[in-house]
Amino acid sequence: MSKVNRRDFLKFIGAGGAGSIAGFLYGESTKKTVEYLVPQVVPPEDYSPGIATWYNTVCNQCSAGCGIMVRTREGRAKKIEGNPAHPINEGRLCPRGQAGLNNLYNPDRVRTPLKRTGERGSGEFEAVSWDQALGEVTGILYALKDQQNSERVRLLTGPTTGHLNQLYATFMAAYGSPHYQQYVFDDLAALREASKRVFGDGAIQYFDLENADYVLSFGADYLANWLSPVHYSLAYGNLRQGGPKRGTCVQIEPRMSLSGASADQWFPARPGTEILVALAIANAIVENHYNGSDRAAWRTALRNYRPKDVAAATGLAEIQLIGLAKRMASAENPVAISGGPAITGDNGVATSLAVLALNYLAGSFGRGVTLKNAPEFGTGERPLASFADMLVLRDAMSGGDVDALLISETNPVYTMPQSSRFADALAQTPTIIALSSFIDDTSAMADFILPTDSYLEAWGDDVPEFGTRASIASIQQPVVERLYDTKSSGHIMLELARRIGGELTVALPNANMEEYIRNAWRQSYKDDNNFDQFWRDLLEAGVSGRRVSRDDLNPIPASASAALRREIEASAAVDSTEHAFYLQPYLTTYGDGSAANLPWIQELPDPLTSVVYNSWVELNPQTAEELGIREGDVLALRTEHGSLEAPAFVYPGIRPDVVAMPIGQGHKHYGRYADNRGANPLDLLGTDTDEASGALVWAAVGVEVTKTGRRVRVVKLDGVTRTLGRQILHPPEGSGHGSESGHG
Amino acid sequence: MSLIEKYIEKYKEYRRPGYYEAYDYHWTMTIDLDRCTGCEACMVACQAENNLPIVGEKRFAQRREIKWIRIERYWEGEYPNAKLRFMPMLCQHCDQAPCETPCPVAATYHNQDGLNTQIYNRCIGTRTCAVYCPYEVRYFNWFTYKWDEPLEQQLNPDVSVREKGVMEKCTFCIQRIRMAKDNAKDDGRRRVRDGEVTPACVETCPTEALVFGDSNDPDSRVSGMMNSPRGYRVLEHLNTVPSVVYLQRVGADG
Repeated sequence: MSKVNRRDFLKFIGAGGAGSIAGFLYGESTKKTVEYLVPQVVPPEDYSPGIATWYNTVCNQCSAGCGIMVRTREGRAKKIEGNPAHPINEGRLCPRGQAGLNNLYNPDRVRTPLKRTGERGSGEFEAVSWDQALGEVTGILYALKDQQNSERVRLLTGPTTGHLNQLYATFMAAYGSPHYQQYVFDDLAALREASKRVFGDGAIQYFDLENADYVLSFGADYLANWLSPVHYSLAYGNLRQGGPKRGTCVQIEPRMSLSGASADQWFPARPGTEILVALAIANAIVENHYNGSDRAAWRTALRNYRPKDVAAATGLAEIQLIGLAKRMASAENPVAISGGPAITGDNGVATSLAVLALNYLAGSFGRGVTLKNAPEFGTGERPLASFADMLVLRDAMSGGDVDALLISETNPVYTMPQSSRFADALAQTPTIIALSSFIDDTSAMADFILPTDSYLEAWGDDVPEFGTRASIASIQQPVVERLYDTKSSGHIMLELARRIGGELTVALPNANMEEYIRNAWRQSYKDDNNFDQFWRDLLEAGVSGRRVSRDDLNPIPASASAALRREIEASAAVDSTEHAFYLQPYLTTYGDGSAANLPWIQELPDPLTSVVYNSWVELNPQTAEELGIREGDVLALRTEHGSLEAPAFVYPGIRPDVVAMPIGQGHKHYGRYADNRGANPLDLLGTDTDEASGALVWAAVGVEVTKTGRRVRVVKLDGVTRTLGRQILHPPEGSGHGSESGHG
Repeated sequence: MSLIEKYIEKYKEYRRPGYYEAYDYHWTMTIDLDRCTGCEACMVACQAENNLPIVGEKRFAQRREIKWIRIERYWEGEYPNAKLRFMPMLCQHCDQAPCETPCPVAATYHNQDGLNTQIYNRCIGTRTCAVYCPYEVRYFNWFTYKWDEPLEQQLNPDVSVREKGVMEKCTFCIQRIRMAKDNAKDDGRRRVRDGEVTPACVETCPTEALVFGDSNDPDSRVSGMMNSPRGYRVLEHLNTVPSVVYLQRVGADG
């Protein structure tokens, strides 16, 4: 054994100590942080991590009822696509449908039941439990029923089809109140009324644009805001390039809409004279092209509308009217449709009737224009309230005839003009119970807000009213777990029924909406043995029903033409009130204003002007020059009913005597994305109605335009909107090449 | 041949338009302007699929919006004969992309499928590529954008969320291409079938104006569309050789 002296020993110790410290530090520094795999002892049933799960359900962003597929990952909804198996949209979707996830994940959703604490309309609420909220609401409703005052309770809802409509109707019937109504702000009331008068049924016909070769549209913006935009966009694509012959589209409207921009010809008729245009074309068809057995009768009916007599009033040339008649009569499959500004004036129903007459005379009845089959899923008539009905409701409320108003997913304080004083009437109603996902202009007035699910969290179904001639119904199922303490509107009604008891429990015994819908479908399906399988298949497919060929449809009754002629003869000729400036509020991506709280829609440039986040007033360039107005000049619009301010936007596709403004902005209460942006053009309107349908008049009204002298910047996407000779829209002259890939 | 000359030859080979014909795919889109109605469904679909930020009104006014696909509007003529024409504009995935050569860090390059690709991790934000792009489809993140809670729950886990200082643009939904290739591989197929890949904008288009596919496959739908006599490429004279082919609008009015 060698001798180790003290000095060497200390050296060893020192070196060893330093080494082990270094080794320890090195080891520590490279050591991975400890991670634990947590086994999912009870794995979630409905997803595998990393793999997308798709659910088929139905879109609820407008009334069209498109089928959608929602992609979810780890229990969260990520993307909405169209359902390819759905006959309405065949896998396609519009901007609003795509933005549905903004509705589900909206930061401004009401998360618990709320009870009013502040003044009516101040929007101040306190959070309460469901038990307390439903208890207090039940107390009020029970007391009214107990005192035989059921009729003093009213239910007002937004557009509702399917079994939820049936549930509402059953609830109100069992409760003992006849006052269940739906209020929808759209441009379709005149179409319904015209159908009722001619075909005896308020269902709107199906217009087959896909197979048409000539489409004459009187103001109907079928590509963006009419009946079923996605369905008609699909049809438009096929009309243009789907077959061997390219169809032609003609648009008659004072301000170029999205459909007007896509049309081959655009005729800016004077607002309110669309009826004269239609009748003049009808007159020319009867005189020059029509040879049916009732020609003499039609000649008499239309004798006052010779193109040369009415041309001056409409702003179209006589030769243009005759040319349109010639094209319409010579087309193989012509279709004429009406909508938008043409049928929301005070002669709206008369105009829709005139357009129907055009279809009849051009031979489109039974071909381009067909009656739909009665749906196989009868869920009852929808009790649609016209604007006139809403005024009756207003009078009832301000007259003290309403003790409690249940209001579900509709916003009349926004969609009815301020001059109707609907908000004042609401303020005088003792109890207002709102079923709503958001504090909007109307639910801000409520005493209780019962928060509803987003349509992506709830059970339901939908029987589409327009858009296809197939008989179908779509199922709505939750695609994600509820985010908050909310319930679906149907579930709230079932819960109220259970708590009030008596006849209500007998009529609505189901515990929740899923059970209610399932039972309702079981009754329609009847074959109980296979029902479970049927139900599973249904949830997988999202839609049930069948396509109907043209021959299977209900035939158009022979009496229709006589009824039509009688109506035309009886209808007053035209509103001849002339104004220096006509106001045209129009529907755009915001729909009736309900999409204004979706940030993706707020940040989506307007399709025609590219403006974002605001309101604007469209003016013809010539008018703007005469008045010395540039883009961004703040204009004051004034009528006898109200006034507002908004910046000017110079728009080449509008008549010089028309100013147009988009509907959708100008909310007082609708969450952070919509509050206090822009102005609501509906507030400029009075409460005039089209007497034939009771619909609000919101086209062809007079307005006064003045400059305020202030200027703002109009925030928009577009820069220069002329090609200035750049080869953008067309290839260079004479280079008509097929394209081989990768040529240099 | 010296080593340097060898490399130059190799580089030329790589820069030759159509070099990827040696590979499996050349992703191509056709846009039929006769079908397009300018409804902008594609814009929202893209926003949802690719985690595009909500920039807000103020930043939109500063032209700092991020829209990988947008609709451009062009007016022709004056009232009453004014016509409005729509033009969907997205990254053209040029075969000779002007944006690729100037990048000092090679953050943007051409991949073997003919895609013009942006590597976010490599990008240092010089914004040179955006200056060189004649289609103005490159968008810069001037800020790290936040989503108001709980909107962030919608974010697509297959697509990275970009931060301040990074250039971004349309990827032809490369995550969907990747997914389709993986699925094909799992099925034991060498190639993706026609129609298996649809970018978000194509999938939603209500008029079927947009068609996407592999132009190396002569039987694909997109190859048929490309050969239409109406086909052209935008700003063709710049010799960028885009992978997006537009089909001219037709009709009496042109």
